[in-house]
Amino acid sequence: MKDVIPLLTTLPTSIAPVDIEIFDPPMCCPSGLCGPTLDQTLLDVNEMVMSLQRENLRVERYQMTSHPNAFLGNAEVMKLVREKEMAALPIIVVRGKVVKVGSYPRQDEIRFALAGANR
Amino acid sequence: MTKFIFFSGKGGVGKTSMACMHAIRYSDEGKHTLIVTTDPASNLADVFEQEIGHKLTPIYSVPNLWSMEIDPDQATQEYVDHALAPVRAAFPASMVKVMEEQMSGPCTAEVAAFDRFTDFIVQDQSTEQFEIVIFDTAPTGHTIRLLELPAEWSQSIDAASAGSGQTCIGPAAAIQDAKHKYEHALTALRNEGVSTFIFVLHPEAIAIRETRRAISELGKLGIHTHRLIVNGIIPASEHSNPLFSARSKMQLGYLEQIRAQLPFTSQSMTLLAGEIKGVECLRQAANIFFNGEQPPVISGNMEDVPEGNVQQSSIDDIRARILPRGQRRTIFFAGKGGVGKTVASCMTAVWLAQHEFKTLLLSTDPAAHLGDVLGQPVGDSSQPFPGIMNLWAAKIDPKAAAETYKARILGDARQRGRTESAIKVMEEELNSPCTEEMAAFDLFIDYASQSDWEAVVFDTAPTGHTLRLLELPMDWSQQIDVKVFSSVDGSAADDVAKERFGQVIEMMRDPAQSTFAFVMYPESTPILEAWRAAQELATTGIQPGLVVANFVIPSNQATPFAQARRRMQKNYLAEIRARFAVPVLEIPLLPQEIKGLEMLSELGERAYGIPALDVR
Repeated sequence: MKDVIPLLTTLPTSIAPVDIEIFDPPMCCPSGLCGPTLDQTLLDVNEMVMSLQRENLRVERYQMTSHPNAFLGNAEVMKLVREKEMAALPIIVVRGKVVKVGSYPRQDEIRFALAGANR
Repeated sequence: MTKFIFFSGKGGVGKTSMACMHAIRYSDEGKHTLIVTTDPASNLADVFEQEIGHKLTPIYSVPNLWSMEIDPDQATQEYVDHALAPVRAAFPASMVKVMEEQMSGPCTAEVAAFDRFTDFIVQDQSTEQFEIVIFDTAPTGHTIRLLELPAEWSQSIDAASAGSGQTCIGPAAAIQDAKHKYEHALTALRNEGVSTFIFVLHPEAIAIRETRRAISELGKLGIHTHRLIVNGIIPASEHSNPLFSARSKMQLGYLEQIRAQLPFTSQSMTLLAGEIKGVECLRQAANIFFNGEQPPVISGNMEDVPEGNVQQSSIDDIRARILPRGQRRTIFFAGKGGVGKTVASCMTAVWLAQHEFKTLLLSTDPAAHLGDVLGQPVGDSSQPFPGIMNLWAAKIDPKAAAETYKARILGDARQRGRTESAIKVMEEELNSPCTEEMAAFDLFIDYASQSDWEAVVFDTAPTGHTLRLLELPMDWSQQIDVKVFSSVDGSAADDVAKERFGQVIEMMRDPAQSTFAFVMYPESTPILEAWRAAQELATTGIQPGLVVANFVIPSNQATPFAQARRRMQKNYLAEIRARFAVPVLEIPLLPQEIKGLEMLSELGERAYGIPALDVR
């Protein structure tokens, strides 16, 4: 098959350093809006991401299918994925450091981690 | 002739025959020709009498002719394999499996089949070698959808790159290439030097309406390259036969209407005494169509075909598959396009309502014409049908369903106090073309699980798309099973959804609660199509419960043409009984179209018996 939609090309969207990285479990879209059920938690996460972005923090979300290189490029993330497989996801990385494994954080957890990273 | 030729129209009007006749004609003229079908329930292999499948395959008996049947399942598998290839080596196998499962939603299948379709239009190595590419399309509703997708995906990709940067099919930045491809396809479809749309239709009210609707939808996409083939004209030699002469008079009126309402370049094709099957038969038909040759004179005996000792199914056996017994009965009328699913559904629903069963009649066909048969329009939500007690009717229109679905989800988000910017992002994601599939499916499950009806009658879309709809509850139950991440709130929602899907699956599998009725006319392709569908459904635990054999020519036909058709039908009626071990309800070919409650009620009484007090 030629000219397939290149799901796998991850293009850098900005050169600013990433503050928060979310390694999502596989899903159709980040809000979960296209899955068979609606998960309010995913919508909460979406909202949190937007509110962090409004403070000019750089937040990136990765999925294994669309951003495999982001996973492969982070040794600690890959180690977790190999050990715990699906149970590891989502993985939250704040300024390069894994801060949460297996569930999404609340906004105050992110802020605490950001403050810690600044210290 | 243009490079791309699309054959479109209502089911059963002869799209495949016309497409194949053209393909053979161009190949015989020495042009390198490809015929592709986008109908998931393709009949190409039946017509050419050889295997084809999801790959470029030469038609062995026709030099210069190649063919392919786009199989949505295989297109999806190729798409998923391609998408996951680099991931396979890097991640644990169990995770790759989840990713694969994740891509089993309606969205991926639609994108994949559509993506494969655009491959043929956008020049690449696979089609460059062909001078003519003929598309034998699925019946109208789904074909319009296929052609709308390039524009819708382009818009969705635009919106995503302006907003969150994500669409259903991947990060927006990465799919700009795809957008170019889709725009390119649309440009080719609009260019009258490159593409032609040939609408095939019968001189009948519903086919005319469906063609007009399709032409107006294509007009909205900027596609105006239409031609017509009016098929199935009853030959003058049959005017001495009362049944055919009545139908012929009806045709004359509609031919006048076609001239007035569809002023396009038009050709016509006479109704033949037999099926168009096999290359020689197609060549003969092509000579009649292109060169104006006379159809062969039918010789042989004029004696009536004897009834023989065919065991007719008893009316009690047939009724047992229709009547609710102590619990809700759901009846699905399925089959090839144009076999009479809508008439069978309407007739059954009207009969049930007249026997005081609270009945809901639903259409899942996006090109629904329930209203045309019932004689009054049917809306997008279930409403009591005027003029008859106990009957409610609705059509599941994907676009209307999507609007309702969007409004409900966004309304719910507002109520939960989500911010306007968050709602805007949700709205953008819900504008993806996937939402229509999701919403139509959601509505189907909703109706299929409503408990306040005694009978629910589904008039389904032509086979290919109906199979997909019926198998979705199973696919999605599986998807929920392998879902890795779920919050507490999410798990609760998953449990509710799984239970909902589970109930519908159980209902469809239980012959005491539901009946799958395959509608067909006694000819090869509709029988084979229904047979394949029945086998596919059997793998999911769903068995057929009834066959409706439609357009059966009554005995005592005095003309050779009618005799020849009746002889052909008799053999196929025997084949139907041999293949499907279920009661067979025969509906005769009538001198006029069926429309309105009065005719439906009369037909229902002929089929299921006159009102008696003991049916309840």
